[in-house]
Amino acid sequence: MARLIVMGGGVSGHTAATFAKDWLGDEHEVVVVTPNSQWNWIPSNIWVGVGQMTKEEVVFSLAPVYEKAGIDYRQAKAVSIHPNGGENGDKEYITIEYTGQGKEGQTEELTYDYLINATGPKLNFGATPGLDEGHTVSVCTADHAVHANLELKKIFEKAKTEKQKILVGTGHGMCTCQGAAFEYIFNIEHEANKAGVRNNLEIKWISNESFLGDFGIGGLHMKRGGYAASSRLFAESLYSERGIPWIIGAHVSKVEAGKAHYELLDGTTGEEEFDFAMLIPPFAGVGLKAYDKDGSDITDTIFAPNGFMKVDAKYDAGAYENWKASDWPRTYQNPTYANMFACGIAFAPPHLISKPMTSPNGTPINPTPPRTGMPSGIIGKAVAHSVCDLIREGNNAHLHEASMAEMGAACVASAGKGLTDGTAAALTVYPVVPDFEKYPGLGRDLDYTFGEIGLAGHWIKHILHHMFLYKAKLKPGWTLIPE
Amino acid sequence: MVQKLVIYPDDRMNCTSTDVRSFNQTLWDVIEDMRDTMQAHDFNAMAAMQIAYPYNIILIKEGENYHEYINPRIIKNEDLFDSEESSIHYPDVTVSIPRYGKIKLVYEDRNGQVHYEDIDDRELAATLQRKIDITFGGNILDKVNKNTREKILSALAGKGLMPQTDDVCPTFSKKDYFVSFTDKLLILMGLSLFTPLFKFSKETVENIYTFDKIAFPLIIALMISFFFYAQYEAKKYKQCSSCQIGNNIGVMVKRSVAALAFAIGAYFLVNPY
Repeated sequence: MARLIVMGGGVSGHTAATFAKDWLGDEHEVVVVTPNSQWNWIPSNIWVGVGQMTKEEVVFSLAPVYEKAGIDYRQAKAVSIHPNGGENGDKEYITIEYTGQGKEGQTEELTYDYLINATGPKLNFGATPGLDEGHTVSVCTADHAVHANLELKKIFEKAKTEKQKILVGTGHGMCTCQGAAFEYIFNIEHEANKAGVRNNLEIKWISNESFLGDFGIGGLHMKRGGYAASSRLFAESLYSERGIPWIIGAHVSKVEAGKAHYELLDGTTGEEEFDFAMLIPPFAGVGLKAYDKDGSDITDTIFAPNGFMKVDAKYDAGAYENWKASDWPRTYQNPTYANMFACGIAFAPPHLISKPMTSPNGTPINPTPPRTGMPSGIIGKAVAHSVCDLIREGNNAHLHEASMAEMGAACVASAGKGLTDGTAAALTVYPVVPDFEKYPGLGRDLDYTFGEIGLAGHWIKHILHHMFLYKAKLKPGWTLIPE
Repeated sequence: MVQKLVIYPDDRMNCTSTDVRSFNQTLWDVIEDMRDTMQAHDFNAMAAMQIAYPYNIILIKEGENYHEYINPRIIKNEDLFDSEESSIHYPDVTVSIPRYGKIKLVYEDRNGQVHYEDIDDRELAATLQRKIDITFGGNILDKVNKNTREKILSALAGKGLMPQTDDVCPTFSKKDYFVSFTDKLLILMGLSLFTPLFKFSKETVENIYTFDKIAFPLIIALMISFFFYAQYEAKKYKQCSSCQIGNNIGVMVKRSVAALAFAIGAYFLVNPY
């Protein structure tokens, strides 16, 4: 019997673990180590953040789901990896520290045959001074979103009698997840209109994108007349129509009570006052350490400097003009340890997708590559497939591939929650990482690139919410629902 | 070399230009062609796409010099005003567009060196915004309301200027037959719910209920067929906002839900058994 340990129980880890267990059956063991007791459908946190959904609607308890699936669930955080074993032998193991199940604070060693790192990101609020001091809110977790809604409602109450300033966007020059902030700002605007306080609200966008609608992937495209116009056009239209001014190319360098300081791409600085701010923090690796058999630190061998796990990517691609689609990983296997994989946000990307930009002061101000949502699930499933084949067929088994340069993604950004009054921008992009050799020019295949704004897209957002929660709960037919 | 201008109805202007990644002779040749074309037509500004080079390059004539903006981005703007604008792409069209009078630009030169520029001249700022829109696949008609746009396109069509018909969405497509037939079935299913109000014979009620039992799965089948046919059509016609998957799913779900509601209604109201 082989043991697969999946570190992390988010979209990617949960997908990997549940498919692996489904394919492996009772012959082999699947262990999930995650510090969380609940699974969270993160895209719907936006609705929680404006009070249109409760936390309970976007989360569910993992324990009963894993019990039903036959997965060994440990509510614990992974602390270190020992790929060559330790004092007690050569068997590889990880150390974990429990955060629940009545064993809080206890540590344990878990041996493994295969390891999938799907720990997701550390929300690195500390990267921006003041961002972790409670002056701003976030919607990155369900609890954060609940808090954001409470603060937002206070602002709406105040706005009944006085002007209030709202600032939404990214809280650092190296953030990703602009899409979440984009969706949140339009939901705030939508709810403000419903509450009748829009006229007393100054809502402003701030982000590290060099153009509106970059979203960390160099923009999406909307097909018109056989050609593709940039998402910048529709994004600027949306912001203009709704009276939302924007600051872009901005690195938020410091946050104080009611004030955000920022540096622009030209090196100049500015500050923006706010009564309410939702600023997405940058992501980093969760801080896992790795040790050799003799106890020496080999973290640098397994992890990139940003804390994400090295996989089969080309990390020495060099300057922007040399970047290729083939730089991106295909199997997500660690180059040093063949029984170790990473998926979702946990893998280290080879470089940015958007054009790299730096201020004259040397501050990088550009979105980092998103590895969330649809690609995250697809990669998790591919990695699970590879591990299952390795277990059953041995080390020569063919590894499954899921390159982001050969993968499409759908993005639905919705404003409002009502079935008749919501609106959404629904876009697909193929491939996520532009392939300039295969698709000269934009690097994208226009046959699979489209965009739509309207009520129908909004319904898709609703459908996705229910469909993915159904799938994640492993209800009948869950394997048929695509990632 | 002077290049041919991209004039409406040539819709290559809708193409997003790619960022320049290599600063070499290819780039310099494009710039040279842009300059030659500008001189030949006495233009004071040009985006590379206006002569069908899909690169993120803009040239602005300043006196005898040509200022080159490679991969320009506007990172700050203020002083919104209405700018009266025309475009080489749309002959004899002038529209009023909200533009910013002060902008902050970041761009690269022909050697890839990054530069920053504050522009507070309204005319120059508006010109740069117009040209940058082109590099992102936009044009002046994207900045006006739908009615104005349609009037202008109609006027251009009156002059014989209109896009190639094989490249645009047809005004009527075969997928509409699915929708039309489904709607008629839905109307009949809806009408069948009024059966209890009339004193029909048992046989008639049974026939109406049989119709409902056939119509419901038929509508579901029609909508599934509609979806797949619509997807085929969306690939066949390159320009078609109504062909896109969001709309197709919306059409399918809306009618399927209505059919389900009518079927449930028929089960309770019409069912003679």
